[in-house]
This record gives sequence, structure tokens and C-alpha cells, in this order.
Amino acid sequence: MKRICAFILVLALMLPAGAFAADLFIAQAANFTPVMKEIIPAFEKATGLTVQATYASTGKLYGQIISDAPFDVFLAADQKRPDKLFADGLSQKPFVYAKGQVVLWSRDKALCAEDWKAGVMNPSAKKVAIANTETAPYGTSAMNAMKAAGIWDKAQSKLVFGQSISQVFQFASTGAADAGLCAYSSVFTEEGKKGCFVVVDQAPPVIQAACILKSAPNPEGAARFVEFLSTPEVQALKLKYGYK
Amino acid sequence: MDWTPLLLSAKLAFWTMLLIPILASPLASLLAFGRFKGKSFLDAVITLPMVMPPTVLGFGLLVVMGPRGVAGGLWEDLTGGRLVFSFAGILFASLIFNLPFAVQPLRASLEKLDPRLLESAAILGLSPLESFFRIVLPNCLGGLAAASILVFAHSLGEFGVILMVGGSIPGQTQVASIAIFEAVEALRFDDAFKMSMALVPICFAVLMIINKINARRS
Repeated sequence: MKRICAFILVLALMLPAGAFAADLFIAQAANFTPVMKEIIPAFEKATGLTVQATYASTGKLYGQIISDAPFDVFLAADQKRPDKLFADGLSQKPFVYAKGQVVLWSRDKALCAEDWKAGVMNPSAKKVAIANTETAPYGTSAMNAMKAAGIWDKAQSKLVFGQSISQVFQFASTGAADAGLCAYSSVFTEEGKKGCFVVVDQAPPVIQAACILKSAPNPEGAARFVEFLSTPEVQALKLKYGYK
Repeated sequence: MDWTPLLLSAKLAFWTMLLIPILASPLASLLAFGRFKGKSFLDAVITLPMVMPPTVLGFGLLVVMGPRGVAGGLWEDLTGGRLVFSFAGILFASLIFNLPFAVQPLRASLEKLDPRLLESAAILGLSPLESFFRIVLPNCLGGLAAASILVFAHSLGEFGVILMVGGSIPGQTQVASIAIFEAVEALRFDDAFKMSMALVPICFAVLMIINKINARRS
């Protein structure tokens, strides 16, 4: 009995230590996840610092940050929220760390046969998923592309809206929607490889900005991470996942 | 300020409340009176949506209700339309999600029913149908009312499941909880506040009604 108690006690003491031991906490917009999963080990190897990242939607992370979540760096999916943090005196000056691209992704290869407009308007694409045009930058960009191509009004009846770009991919990859206007990076995931895609060339690039938070528990570490983001190593990783 | 999401939520809650007795009553009687193998298994299956994270349940439903899923495929064959991303779809999801919340109070009120009442009714020559309407139903009215009103309130506030299968289409699947979530994400705190403030008195009234019913029963 004593041994069991001691065991539980040790376990209880170890768990939080194990989970919160990172030197650097990063709030990361979900669309960048695949790249980040490669950047973090490279950074840890280069600097010896340990990193823990939280992946969520930009809006949610913003909400957590203004509620004093203890993050060091915020990598958003847009420019709006880092700019707002800076204007409110909560962060250092924001900078662009990546430019994303919208693609039309589908499990149905026929929808990628021509260009993206033909794919969206194809009668066999009964439902097309797009991210929330107001809150998700990829949604805004996709909407602008459809407006520029003159198909925004015509496509209304087939559009379904995901809360984030990851939910759009979820709708498309489960087949619930026949196609989705997804982030280029999702093409490189395991699920993404099972389908086809065409680049939405009319979609403006999604400019993703980042900033170091004023309340950062580890500002030196944060600065080193930001510096690391501009290394050729990270550039190559970004290109590999369809970012510029 | 657009009130469509609130009206849609009310519509969803109303239809769920109306349809759920049809689904829940037979299951509740089966659990209350049935003596069969696998009863605890059935019980667990019905109660599962109560304890599962709504997003997990929602993802499961998204797969089942999609055109490749069993329910979604069948629906598409029958109607030609898609089950997910439609009002019928979120209603279906809401029924599944609310099932345990209706079955449990119904089952409890059925189990409280004195079996001698039913025996006397049978001896006095009442058919099973007659004894259902003249004995079971009046005695379980409280349980039925409590279940319906609980389900109404519950589907009014439902978020996770509908987020997964709804697709936030204005006027069709964009219910109040989703609209509030989107307003918060878009930093439109004013709209979010107004919509929430409209929901609070409704939910409060519902809870008061449930309390009244419970007080009368005991």
C-alpha cells in the first residue's frame, strides 16, 4: 500500500514537471503545424532550448493572449491580430514569417482535372468547404479569389463554412464536402496525399505575421527563435510545405 | 444585428423536442421493463453521447452522415440531397446527442410506475393500448415533460456537435451558439453579448419550468 502511494505521489510530481518544462512557449496558428513540427526539433538542436507549441485558430490564441496566457511568441495566420496586439501595447513589432497559398483539394481526382474554377463549379461538387470568410484569413483569400473569378454568387448554394482552415480540410477529407478551399500545407499531410489539388492562383497570398509578446516569460529565447525563423534551413522547410 | 441564428436555434430545439419522444419512449420502456441479454450494453450505447466530448461525437457523426457514411449514403439515395450541412442533418445529430437526456428521465418515471396498476388494468380487461393511454401516459407525463423541456434547453445551447456537422450555413445550419462563437472570433463582442443575453432568459425560464415540474412530482 505504502509503495503504491509513493508511486502515485512520484507520478503526480513528475507529470506537471514533464509537461511544463519547456523553455519557450509558442502560440501557433494551426495551418502552419506541419512546418512547425520540423522547425521545432531543428531549433532545439541548434540552441539547446526546449519548445512547446500550442496549435489552435488565430482567433482563439488571440483570445488566450489578451487573457494573459503565458506565451513567448505568437505566430498568427493573419496580420490583423499581431497588429492589434502591437497597437494595444501587448507585443513587440510584428513581422511576416510566411505567405500561404489557397488550393482546391478534393478526394475526387476529376475535380482537379481542369483549373480550380471548373472544379468548384463542377456539378459533381455538390458541397464545397471554405473557411469562415470573416475570421479565417484563408477564407477571406478564397472568397476574394471567387469574387475575382466571378463565381462567388453562383457558388453560394454549395458553400459550407468551416471555423478554421483545418476544419475545411476535415470536411473535404472525410468526404462530407466534395472539395475544399484548403491551405497548400494540408496537401502534404498523410490525408492530403490521398487526394488531388489545384492551386487557386487568383487567391491573394495569406500573409502570416508573428510577434514576440511583451509578457514573454523568456524574451531572450523568443528573440533567438525569431532569428532562427529567417535561417536558410527554415526557408527550405517553408518551401517544402508550400509557403513562401 | 441578425437574429436568424437565434430563430434557427429555436427551430432546432423545437423539432428535437417534438421528435425525441418517438425515439426515446420505446428505448426507455425497453430499458425499464425489458429483461434481455445485452441490456446493460444497450444502456451504455444510449448513454454514450452524454459522456463523450461533443466534438468527438460530432466527428463520428460527420463520417457516418457524410455521403460515404451509412446514414448519409442512405439519405442521399432517398432524397438526392446531402445529410450533413443541412437542417435535417443537424436535427439528426441533435436527436442522437439528446437521446440520453430524454431516455434517462423517461426510464426513471417508467420504473416508478406501480406494476400492480398495470396488472389490475389487464384483469379489468383493458387492452395494452388502452392501458398505455389511460395508465402509463398520465403517470409518466411529468417525466415526459421534464425530458422534453430538458432536451429543448439542451439543443438550444448545443455547440460542439453542430460545429462538426453543420458547416455554418446562414439560415440553415448556423445556430446561435455558432454565430456567437464566430462573433467572438471576429472580435464583434457586442453582437456576441446581445445574442448571449437573448439566450440567458430563455434558458433560465426553462430551468424554472423544470423545477416546477419536479416539485409537483415529488
